[in-house]
Amino acid sequence: MAKILEGPAMKLFNKWGIPVPNYVVIMDPNRLEQLGEANKWLRESKLVVKAHEAIGGRFKLGLVKLGLNLEEAVAASREMIGREIGTAVIRQVIVAEMLDHDEEYYVCINGNRDGAEVLLSNKGGIDIEDNWDSVRRLFIPIDENPSIERLTEFANEAGFSGEIAERVGKIVSRLVLCFDNEDAQSIEINPLVIRKSDMRFAALDAVMNLDYDARFRHADWDFKPVSEIGRPFTEAEQQIMEIDGRIKGSVKFVEVPGGEIALLTAGGGASVFYSDAVVARGGTIANYAEYSGDPPDWAVEALTETICSLPNIKHIIVGGAIANFTDVKATFSGIINGLRESKSKGLLENVKIWVRRGGPNENQGLAAIRKLYDEGFDIHVYDRSMPMTDIVDLALNS
Amino acid sequence: MSILANRDTRVVIIGGVAGLNAARRMAQFDFLVNRPLTVQAFVYPPEEGQQKEIYRGGELKNVPVYSSLEEALAENPGINTALIYIGANRAYTAAKEALEASSIKLVSMITEGVPEKDAKRLRKLAHAHGKLFNGPSSIGIMSAGECRLGVIGGEFKNLKLCNLYRSGSFGVITKSGGLSNEAMWLCAQNGNGVTTAVAIGGDAYPGTDFVTYLEMFENDPETKAVVIVGEVGGTLEEEAAEWLAAKPRRIRLIATIGGTCQEVLPQGMKFGHAGAKEGKKGLGSARSKMNALREAGALVPETFGGLSKCIKQVYEELLADGSIQPEPEIDEALLPELPPKVQEVMKQGEVIVEPLIRTTISDDRGEEPRYVGYAASELCEKGYGIEDVVSLLWNKKLPTREESEIIKRIIMISADHGPAVSGAFGAIIGACAGIDMPQAVSAGMTMIGPRFGGAVTNAGKYFKYGVKEFPNDIPGFLAWMKQNVGPVPGIGHRVKSLKNPDKRVKYLVDYVKNHTSLHTPCLDYALEVEKITTSKKDNLILNVDGTMGCILVDLDFPEQSLNGFFVLARTIGMIGHWIDQNSQSAKLIRLYDYLINYAVKEEREVPEKK
Repeated sequence: MAKILEGPAMKLFNKWGIPVPNYVVIMDPNRLEQLGEANKWLRESKLVVKAHEAIGGRFKLGLVKLGLNLEEAVAASREMIGREIGTAVIRQVIVAEMLDHDEEYYVCINGNRDGAEVLLSNKGGIDIEDNWDSVRRLFIPIDENPSIERLTEFANEAGFSGEIAERVGKIVSRLVLCFDNEDAQSIEINPLVIRKSDMRFAALDAVMNLDYDARFRHADWDFKPVSEIGRPFTEAEQQIMEIDGRIKGSVKFVEVPGGEIALLTAGGGASVFYSDAVVARGGTIANYAEYSGDPPDWAVEALTETICSLPNIKHIIVGGAIANFTDVKATFSGIINGLRESKSKGLLENVKIWVRRGGPNENQGLAAIRKLYDEGFDIHVYDRSMPMTDIVDLALNS
Repeated sequence: MSILANRDTRVVIIGGVAGLNAARRMAQFDFLVNRPLTVQAFVYPPEEGQQKEIYRGGELKNVPVYSSLEEALAENPGINTALIYIGANRAYTAAKEALEASSIKLVSMITEGVPEKDAKRLRKLAHAHGKLFNGPSSIGIMSAGECRLGVIGGEFKNLKLCNLYRSGSFGVITKSGGLSNEAMWLCAQNGNGVTTAVAIGGDAYPGTDFVTYLEMFENDPETKAVVIVGEVGGTLEEEAAEWLAAKPRRIRLIATIGGTCQEVLPQGMKFGHAGAKEGKKGLGSARSKMNALREAGALVPETFGGLSKCIKQVYEELLADGSIQPEPEIDEALLPELPPKVQEVMKQGEVIVEPLIRTTISDDRGEEPRYVGYAASELCEKGYGIEDVVSLLWNKKLPTREESEIIKRIIMISADHGPAVSGAFGAIIGACAGIDMPQAVSAGMTMIGPRFGGAVTNAGKYFKYGVKEFPNDIPGFLAWMKQNVGPVPGIGHRVKSLKNPDKRVKYLVDYVKNHTSLHTPCLDYALEVEKITTSKKDNLILNVDGTMGCILVDLDFPEQSLNGFFVLARTIGMIGHWIDQNSQSAKLIRLYDYLINYAVKEEREVPEKK
């Protein structure tokens, strides 16, 4: 799942003939002044300025400014760019034409197992949740794109009529094309607006998720997906992602500020169960981590050092299921090096380490990590006979 | 009994090295349960025509690689299953082709990072053809005692620990691959093991679902209970709950669901597999899945750790009501052991292998090479030079400083003797013909023999013999040589003579005798011999080969090593000539006709062949 920002989404809408307002994305407010000289719409339309970053609740944070003229828009972007919100810094703003309009509609496509579902309502805008009963749904089986006639009929079912129904049907048909061809996972346009005087439509706001795994067949995806964790990535997270991008297998890391129990866990399935076990026993996790697919030892070592540097942790859970092909001896040698390195930097004081693992070369791996006890680590090592998540119980009861 | 894979399953693997590794793991299982190789063919165009070596126990088998699935199936008509190991950008096409092949009933895909759209289309295609598409991101399928598809089950030792050599009573369905192995272990430890375990993969839209397999397990009389390991996201677990509640079911259901931690995570944060994403308003949350399954009658522990107890409880209830009989104890010692590699057995001292070669000079098995025990870096650190390494490797001794200086001089003065001599000329002709350095230098090297540079060994050998057998009888030595050997090696020169001495010889003799304290019986003997021979003929002087040979004998080098000094020294020169010719971009050369006497027959007609 990869959410993309409005700018790239607008670009893809343009490509597929879905009407969008005029817009520019800028990093430098001076550039906006010069764009104003070049573009009539910037001088003559009401404008909206929005922070072009993956930050939720922008409106409440004052990161959306409406109804501005060019001068005010330049001032607004000057004010927004460089602002710090939590760990994030606003680097870009999107400046778009604020189209005077008569009505607001809602249209959305969500992928599902058998294809996709289109949701359509003639009562869009910020109150869509209250008007959810008005939403009509149309299932589109994979590889069976509906005809314009069918979509116009669907628009009729959703309460549109006449020329507007035809135009909405056409926009939906283009949206379906865009969804299908761009490997989208979901597209939500709210509102889709209409100015009836010249029958002009525009998608004023859009949220689009693309399947980033399909990027190998999209030469024009020149954007990066935004963070999937509801906030921009931290520096440590970006470092681990960078390593993840160039190794066989994978290493993953997400910080959860304020937690006391650090996770250094293996496998996409087991890691989640370890997080669950901590929460179920009343503990707080300091991070999520996962290494899988037999990654090289140096990558696991880097992950280990990152985890050891988390502030105020009391326990580290070195957990995992019985691996199918991840070599326990090799990956543990990375963990052992990382733990040693961290200890030599003065970290891990009063931190208890709990180990449970099985898999190829488990005996050698567990024997090697057990030796850390003799080096002064507060470490407790268990093999496959210990139920997988029970080391969490031991940690929390210690 | 089992579902999906059994003793009749025959497999084609589509993909390269990851597929080969899987085939090797599968062959270990084949050996454990004593069945023929499951994998019959690979499809991987870059390696078309190769045979892949796979051990089934101690037996070495060869499995062919084809460039197309069509060809693989034509030559191996028993194949009914395809495993996709190829990269995400080609996985769709490969799986589609397999699903469209009439003989293939099941396609399982391990490839990760496959676009969702591709997975959806494959699922639809499988439905249309009445087949199964398992995965993407599936570690595989394991039918205990019958068939292993993929690396599921891990290493050989684990296959035994999880009782996978024989069927049990539990079915296993997981999204995660790692947890499929864990669940099999739990079923073996707390129950009697598994019938079949299948990983459906953690993607958002897997090709199959829990219900498909639950239905199959329900129809497999040997499966009495099923363990499912689900995750937050999607609705597959809810559908499993609906299936269970829809009518009375024969099988018992145990389920554990990952992702309850999302309840307390900051808004929008998600972990784990691609499919592990909660929908709007808690749809597909771990909690809603757990509740749905519990309401439908499944046993659902609060954490994964509680799964052991649930399995044990169900197993004991099934035993109590007579649904299953206790398994007779199996003597694990009767199970086959993978034949160990020679190195492993040798380590344990259980087998003796006669070495093929023996070395007494050097060993690089440690962190760095050791020459006769001395670490190379330590020799460098302590000021030793190349002449000391030569002495160590050729004579196994560290020379004194004085001896090293002599060795160094011998090498220095023999390093080259101009382009005209056989060795250098050979190397130059090679360089001009455009051949590479090792070949050109070897061309020069092949010249070294009885007439060119190869007399050092024999000179040393015979003068040493003279010192020993004819100590004060040089005429006797010369007579013996004449009778048994011929001309004395190391005596005589084509151009040099008493009047026109070889400066190299003079220098060496002077250096050794007047600037070192080396005891030189052999050199002294040769100089006495020279006095006699030069009295007969002016050019029968002690030449450079003879001088080197004698000094090296006096340095206590073994006889057979002596030519090595000429070979070593001249290699330096020949390499120089090759580099020299190449840096001048020398052209191919050939002899002019006037340098050849064509002492040949006149032109004549070829007779008819008889």
